[in-house]
Amino acid sequence: MASQTQNEPDDDCMDEFMDKFTTQKYKGGFNEKTWEEEFEKVPMFMKKAPEVIDPVKNPELACLQSIIFSDDTPLEEQATTYKNEGNDYFKEKKYKQAIASYSEGLKKKCGDTELNAVLHTNRAAAQFHLGNFRSALNDALAAKKLKPDHQKAIIRGALCLVELKKYSEAISWCDEGLRADPKEKKLLELRLQADQLRRAWERDARKSKLKEKKKQCEEAALLKAIKDRKIKLFAPAKAQRRSSDDEEDEEGVSGALAELSLDGISSENATGARVFLDESGSLNWPVLFLYPECGQTDFISAFHEGTRFLDHLTVMFSEELPPWDTERKYRPQDLQLYFADEEREEVYQVNPEHTLLEVLKHDRYFIKAGTANFIVLVKGSSFCKEFLSDKKVHRLKRTT
Amino acid sequence: MLDEKEAKDLLNFLKLDMRPDLKGQATEYILGLTGNKDGCKYLGTKPALLKAVLALTRDPSVAVVKDCYHTLINLSADPVAHQALIKEANVLPPLLHNLLDPGYIFADQICTILTNLSRNKETCREVLRAIQDEGVGLAQIVEVFCTEGYNEKASLHYLGPLLSNLTQLPEARSFILDKDRCVIQRLLPFTQYESSAVKRGGVVGTLRNCCFDYSCHEWLLSDAVDILPFLLLPLAGPEELSEEENEGLPVDLQYLPEDKRREKDPDIRNMLIETLLLLTSTKAGRQILKKKNVYPIMREFHKWEKEPDVMVSCEKLVQVLIGDEPETGMENLMEVNIPEDVEKKFQALDVEEQKQIEKEREELLKSEAEEKAEAGSSEAKRECSGEALAR
Repeated sequence: MASQTQNEPDDDCMDEFMDKFTTQKYKGGFNEKTWEEEFEKVPMFMKKAPEVIDPVKNPELACLQSIIFSDDTPLEEQATTYKNEGNDYFKEKKYKQAIASYSEGLKKKCGDTELNAVLHTNRAAAQFHLGNFRSALNDALAAKKLKPDHQKAIIRGALCLVELKKYSEAISWCDEGLRADPKEKKLLELRLQADQLRRAWERDARKSKLKEKKKQCEEAALLKAIKDRKIKLFAPAKAQRRSSDDEEDEEGVSGALAELSLDGISSENATGARVFLDESGSLNWPVLFLYPECGQTDFISAFHEGTRFLDHLTVMFSEELPPWDTERKYRPQDLQLYFADEEREEVYQVNPEHTLLEVLKHDRYFIKAGTANFIVLVKGSSFCKEFLSDKKVHRLKRTT
Repeated sequence: MLDEKEAKDLLNFLKLDMRPDLKGQATEYILGLTGNKDGCKYLGTKPALLKAVLALTRDPSVAVVKDCYHTLINLSADPVAHQALIKEANVLPPLLHNLLDPGYIFADQICTILTNLSRNKETCREVLRAIQDEGVGLAQIVEVFCTEGYNEKASLHYLGPLLSNLTQLPEARSFILDKDRCVIQRLLPFTQYESSAVKRGGVVGTLRNCCFDYSCHEWLLSDAVDILPFLLLPLAGPEELSEEENEGLPVDLQYLPEDKRREKDPDIRNMLIETLLLLTSTKAGRQILKKKNVYPIMREFHKWEKEPDVMVSCEKLVQVLIGDEPETGMENLMEVNIPEDVEKKFQALDVEEQKQIEKEREELLKSEAEEKAEAGSSEAKRECSGEALAR
């Protein structure tokens, strides 16, 4: 730049300065090619401030910043600057930065309660928009403590409480705000909304409680039906230990049925089918027929206890014989049914003309893993003879 | 009553600086006077005595203050003394100021006095005016009413009937029904306030009075207020309704637990049904009540109810709910013109109905007494077999 004598700060000096440009080119101007970039760097003409101010690249900006945030300015002014900064970020939806600015403003601990209340409330709003409802509520509470009549803090707090599903508290915050301004529309709307949500939530709680109770009743009825029929459930040892620990919890049925646990009837079969009590008060069991000769099984998910085995077998083996029956010998009239008493390693023959219930009542029959198992063999077949040879077999008494 | 000299002496004894024993006797005496109509009438002509009693409510002796308040309560119960109390003794301002004091021990007595005074329409106007002029305001009364434990020493349950009485005036109703505020909405939950039948009854009375203004029925039945569930909940019982019936009910009435109890007080039950009937006077109201499954609730209620007059009200409501829509021109039941001869017939029928209700009530009481006697006698039999029954 042209030198200026410090002793002549007057019009002559100025004229001299200006005259120079008629002869010399101004050297401090922008470069023709890169003028737009350079323009952007001048603080006054910047469209967007850089995120981080680098004192080397932007000395003017760094200088301005140090003036604004200098420790010499009064605390209230500094806090206000941070507040405004935060508000600007908020308008641009940059909530994280807004929160940072507001926090800086609060750190100044300037004694202005109104300002601090606003900082807290605004920070609460920013937190709210980030979904941090608990933090937002804390800020709203802080604001309310500083200024109990700060309506914006009350509204924000109530909004948070609704999001946190604390409807009764939300309503009492609204009532507090309405005491000061009974016609405040936002509070009226919010109160109505919170009240409706609360009542819907209470209904949902009642509904699920009722369903739970109904389910418990049904379970109890089911276990009672099984016990009344004196049907024995075999639960694996591991489960039994577990169930004795659970005896105290609320889901357990009354003391009398304690030895029967749901473990005994929860099934491990692939379909998850379970014994149930139908409308006429009859039990329906999942039943597994085993065909050890061919390594096959048939599963009936709901075998009514009053149905005879023969009825099922006739249906299963009447029209088409199963594809695994290569010798075509599994005909209803040739089938023999047995069940295994695993404890004693004995086998009992079952009369196909009996109903399921009659067999289940057998004092050596145990339901295992919630499913009733039966073995099916072909009368007189070599496999049948071999299968039964190493076991004690209790045959049906012949009627002559 | 008292002659001039006796009255003057009495007035003398009713002074704050008087000897406590004489003061006490004087206040006891005045309280005794208020025990009958003549006494009240007499005191109504003696504003000086009333002013003295009012002044003694500031006495340091609790016994004296209690007697004074009881005196005022008895006087307020009789309209003959109202004018003297309000106009000449000017009791309202000090009463109202003490009412809102959260530490005032006699706030309940004040509520009772105000409730008594507001019973008839003329004095009610005075009470409302005083509430507004003395910087108390209806808003504050509602606020205190809704704040549990506002006063540790007084329950303030009688604010309920006070509000109910005040709402016989249109100005009070328009405040409660203000759409830009949240007033009636805050009162609604109190229809189920278990601790006090007085408070409950007061709220229901308030709601019933408000429902006489049929122009706001639609607003009352809308989500903005949603008055219906709060009227039905006290009438709903633990009976299980089908899933379908449940889903059609207002949210608050769905899936009620098995320990749900109905309103114990038959008068309150009757008022609730009367309020519901008022809400059926417009076509819109009838449609809303029908749509929201009010009928199943009333059906179960009718099976449970035993009081004859409540059953009659219930039947009237059910009739509207399941009956056909009235002919065109008659949709708003409150605006229908009833010709004089028909009106007379209705009045005669009402008298008949009333007689029938009385008869049924007597029979009910009789059968209950018989049951008790039977139970008593069967127990006595067990104790002293064959011998004369003890009573």
